[in-house]
Amino acid sequence: MSVQTTAKTSRPDPPRRTGTSAAARWRALRRRPLVTTLFPFAVVIAVWAVVAELGVFPSAFFVGPATVADSLLTSVQRGILPAYIVDSLTRLAVGTGVGLLVGVALGFLIGLNRHARRFSWPLLLFFQAIGDIAWLPIVIIWFGFSLTSVTVVIVYTVVFPLIISIVAGLDAIPTNLLRAASSLGASRWRMFWEVYVPGALPGLSSGVRTGLGYGWRALIAAEIIIGTSGVGFMMFDARRQGDVSHVFVGMAVLGVLWYMTDALVLAPLEKETVERWGLVEGIGR
Amino acid sequence: MSFLTVDRLNQVYTDVYTNEHTVAIDDVSFTIPAGEFVSLIGPSGCGKTTVLNIVAGFVEATGGAVQLEGVPVAGPGPDRGVVFQDFALFPWKTVLANVAFGLKMNGVGKAERQATAQEMIDLVGLSGFERKFPHELSGGMRQRAAVARVLATEPSIMLMDEPFASVDAQTRRVLQQEVLRIWDLRRTTVLFVTHDVDEAVFMSDRVIVLSTRPSQVQADIRIPIERPRSWTDMHTNEDFVSIRRELMGMLGVEGAEVAP
Repeated sequence: MSVQTTAKTSRPDPPRRTGTSAAARWRALRRRPLVTTLFPFAVVIAVWAVVAELGVFPSAFFVGPATVADSLLTSVQRGILPAYIVDSLTRLAVGTGVGLLVGVALGFLIGLNRHARRFSWPLLLFFQAIGDIAWLPIVIIWFGFSLTSVTVVIVYTVVFPLIISIVAGLDAIPTNLLRAASSLGASRWRMFWEVYVPGALPGLSSGVRTGLGYGWRALIAAEIIIGTSGVGFMMFDARRQGDVSHVFVGMAVLGVLWYMTDALVLAPLEKETVERWGLVEGIGR
Repeated sequence: MSFLTVDRLNQVYTDVYTNEHTVAIDDVSFTIPAGEFVSLIGPSGCGKTTVLNIVAGFVEATGGAVQLEGVPVAGPGPDRGVVFQDFALFPWKTVLANVAFGLKMNGVGKAERQATAQEMIDLVGLSGFERKFPHELSGGMRQRAAVARVLATEPSIMLMDEPFASVDAQTRRVLQQEVLRIWDLRRTTVLFVTHDVDEAVFMSDRVIVLSTRPSQVQADIRIPIERPRSWTDMHTNEDFVSIRRELMGMLGVEGAEVAP
C-alpha cells in the first residue's frame, strides 16, 4: 500500500499516452455543462427502455420511452400539449404572483412587528396544517370549477411557507448588523431597505423555492380534480381512457418544467444575490 | 475637560424564568478626556462589554448616566462609532458601499461619500479591494474595512469591542500597530474593550481595570510609554513589563503562582 503510494507520487506527472484516445475525449465531453446536466437523464432513460423492452411489466401499464416520445410528438403536433402547458403555467404564474405579493407583505409584517407576530403565529400554525387539497371541497362550493378556485388554492399553498421562511430569515439577521446600522445613523425606514430586506433574502429565496414547489403540486392536484384543461387534467383524462403513454408524458413535462423554472429563474436570482454575498452555498452546485 | 462621562453605572439583570436578580455592574464611574485612548479590561464576565454597549446606546442601564460632550446618551448614534468583534459588515454590500454606509444614512451625496469612503479605504490599506464583498476578504481585512466604515462618519468617540479577538495572532499584532498609526493621525477619543492585557498596555494612554461581578472600577492606570509604539521593542520596555506584571497580578493570572 505505502510502496504503491510513494511510487505514484514520486513519478512526476505521467505522460498522457491516451491523450487523443476515446477515453480522453469522453472525459473532456463530460465536463461540458450540457452533458453534465443531461447525462444522468440519459442513464435513467436507458434503464427505463431496457425495463420496458424486457417486458417486466405488461405494456398496458408500463410503456417505454419510444412510445412516450411518440405520444409527446402527436400531442405537440395537434397543439393540445402546448395549449395545456400554457394554461397550467398561466395559472401557476397568476397564483404564485398573488401568493408572492401577499406572502412577502405578511412575512415582513409578522417578522418585524411584535404584535402582529403574537397575534398571527397560532393562526399560521393552524392554517398551515390544513393542506392545500383539503381546501378544494369548500373552494369548489364557493367558486365552482373555475380559474378562481385554482388560484385560491395555489395562493394558499405559496403564502404559508413564504411567510414562515421570511420570518425565519429576519430572525437570523445577526444582532450586530442591526446595531451597526443604527449606530451609523440609519433611520427605521432606511434600516428596513438597507438591512432587513437584503438580510431576509436567504429566507425569502428558500421560501420562494418551497412555495413554488408546493404551488406546482397544488396546481396539478387542482387540475386533476376541477380542471377542464392543463397538464394535470391531461394526465387524469388519459388515465380515464387507459392511455398510460400520455400519463407518462404529463409526468415528464412536469419534471422538465420544474427543472426549467429552477435553471432559468430561481438559480440565476440566487447566484446574483445570496450566493454572491456568501450568505448561502449554491444548492446542488 | 472630560469628554465622555460614565457616572455610577449600574446594571441588574432579571432572570425571566426564576425572577432572580443578578447585579452585573455594581457601580462603575470613569471619565475620558478628548483625544485619549482608554482600555477597559477585567476578568471574563465582568461586564466590560456591557459598559461599552451602554455607552453605544444598545443597552439601557438600570442606573447611572452616560454623557458625551455634556449631552446624555439615549440610543445609538453616529457620534459614537462602534467596531465589533465579529466585524458586522453588511454581507450584501461591497467594501466601498460598507464604508460609505454611514455617510449615506446621514444624507451625504453619492459623489462626496464615495470620495470620503475611498480616502478611508486608502487610509486603512484596503486600496484595490473596494469592489469585493466581505466574505471574499480575510478576517484582518474585514476588520480594516469595519474601522474605515466607522472613521468615515467622523465620530466623536470610537468604541471598540474586542476588535482583534477574531483574527489570528500574527494579524492581530499588525492590526494593533495599524490602528495606532491611524489613531495617531486623527486622535479620535477611543474606548477599547479587551481581555488581552498586552494589547491594553500596548494600545492605551490609560487602562481601567474592572473587578469581577458585580463590577466596580478596581484600578485606573496611566501608561507613560512614548508614542509611536511598536511591538519590536515593547517586551524590553521597562514600563511595559512592569505595568503588564501589575495588571496580570490584579487579574489573578500570575499572582496565583507566586502567592505563598
